[in-house]
Amino acid sequence: MGEDAKGEFEPKIIGFTCNWCTYASADLAGTSRKKYPPNTRIIRLMCSGRLDPMFVLKALLNGADGVFIGGCHPGECHYIKGNFYARRRIAALRTILKEFGMDNRVRSEWISASEGDKFATVMREMAENIKKIGPNPLRGKVL
Amino acid sequence: MKGAELAIGDLGGFLRSLLEKEVVDCLIVPHRVGNNVAYMLVTDPNKIGSGEEIFIPSFSVNAGGLLKGWTIKSKVGLVAKPCEIRAAIELVKLNQIDKESALLISVDCPGTFENQVYADHKDEIGDWIDSAKIEELKGKGLEIREACKICSNMLADVGDIAIARQDGGDKVVVAALTPMGESALNALELSLEDKDIERKDAKAKIAEAAKNNEASLPKFGSIEALEEFLRDCIVCKNCRDVCPVCYCKECFFDQPLGDPVSGDLLNLGAIRGAVGLPANQLFYHLTRVYHVSATCVGCGACADACPKDIPLTRYYPVITKKVQEMFEYVPGKDVEEPIPFTTYEEEELEDRLR
Ligand code: SF4
Ligand code: SF4
Ligand code: FES
Repeated sequence: MGEDAKGEFEPKIIGFTCNWCTYASADLAGTSRKKYPPNTRIIRLMCSGRLDPMFVLKALLNGADGVFIGGCHPGECHYIKGNFYARRRIAALRTILKEFGMDNRVRSEWISASEGDKFATVMREMAENIKKIGPNPLRGKVL
Repeated sequence: MKGAELAIGDLGGFLRSLLEKEVVDCLIVPHRVGNNVAYMLVTDPNKIGSGEEIFIPSFSVNAGGLLKGWTIKSKVGLVAKPCEIRAAIELVKLNQIDKESALLISVDCPGTFENQVYADHKDEIGDWIDSAKIEELKGKGLEIREACKICSNMLADVGDIAIARQDGGDKVVVAALTPMGESALNALELSLEDKDIERKDAKAKIAEAAKNNEASLPKFGSIEALEEFLRDCIVCKNCRDVCPVCYCKECFFDQPLGDPVSGDLLNLGAIRGAVGLPANQLFYHLTRVYHVSATCVGCGACADACPKDIPLTRYYPVITKKVQEMFEYVPGKDVEEPIPFTTYEEEELEDRLR
């Protein structure tokens, strides 16, 4: 697990995406056959504002190599301001994780329903970056 | 600001008159207990001591937290150190205290000892310490709490009234910081004049020393370092229980997913192959540090309460300060300023997301 056919490290990324924008963009990326890493697991939330930062912590503690959070562009949230609150929460969480060298495993982007390309690009970039920094040091630990 | 100068010997009378003139229905103030001081809730003016107890450099609990749930109409006056008043102000913002029912009085704090250390060395430490005394005691192996060493808000300037101990001498200035504070002082028939207890230079000096002390603390740098730091934690959650700004009625870590037993525990083990026990040590502390990231007042009560002597001051106040700096937020400084997570700017923080 976590390795590709050549035995290379293949990062496992958990993506939390909002129903109205980024989840739809992931869908579009799929239907238009844009390539993005197969080890990405998407969890749909109604809004990025639904993201409890504990979800991110739990994913990391359970060994995810990266956590992606996607929402509508600021000003375009289906619930008007969910992503404004989300942005503060994610910024705070990453600031904390930075003290433990884990912030570069968490990335957030605003991707609209029509940006399937952007979704695929972001996920590829993220996988590349995480390949460089290596597996989550907590992976496999008895926590 | 309006205020009055009092002889230190008049402080007891000042506190008594808050009750006698019915400015408040009760006071929460320090009182002597054997060799130590602790808080009491007092309604009978005769139970008030000399008043000097308010400056005794001994830390037991964060008294701000004692007001959690004070949403009744009866008015309480809290006389406590700045970190305690700041915690109470955060609790007001969190709707855990009705501000109309609380008269908050901050007093200058010189830095404190853990209450058991104070009790064991009461005669050497005495009722008031200044920086020279702190150095002298340090020479004898008696050090103030780590939280106090990295605190830059020890001079009273929060709440409705501040009590400043000028130069550690035998005079104090009692000054009103809000309209509620001013009407309280008026009710006591003190003759009020303009007073300045800002003390900018002294504050800058304290902040500088605090910064240096903080810089000399060990850093984490990796998640493994945090794991090692928390190695002995038994997840008793004392650090949460004593924390003045941890206020949830139903903490996640008291519920099945946060505090798993039997089948839930087995499920966790099945996901991971093995689960460390007591469960969720890292998860608990990472969640808690996020939850208090805006509101932690750096009081160090968590460190004092840890039965395993984990120096939590190096974790909670230090890590949360990074978040507070990002939001340019000082918890407890201004009751009108919203907690960062309850508000937003339309354009901000984009450089912090990736
Ligand atoms: S986390 Fe610790 S230092 Fe911060 S407010 Fe709570 S008890 Fe005080
Ligand atoms: S008080 Fe100490 S042992 Fe108890 S949960 Fe907190 S860090 Fe762990
Ligand atoms: S609905 Fe997409 S971020 Fe709120």
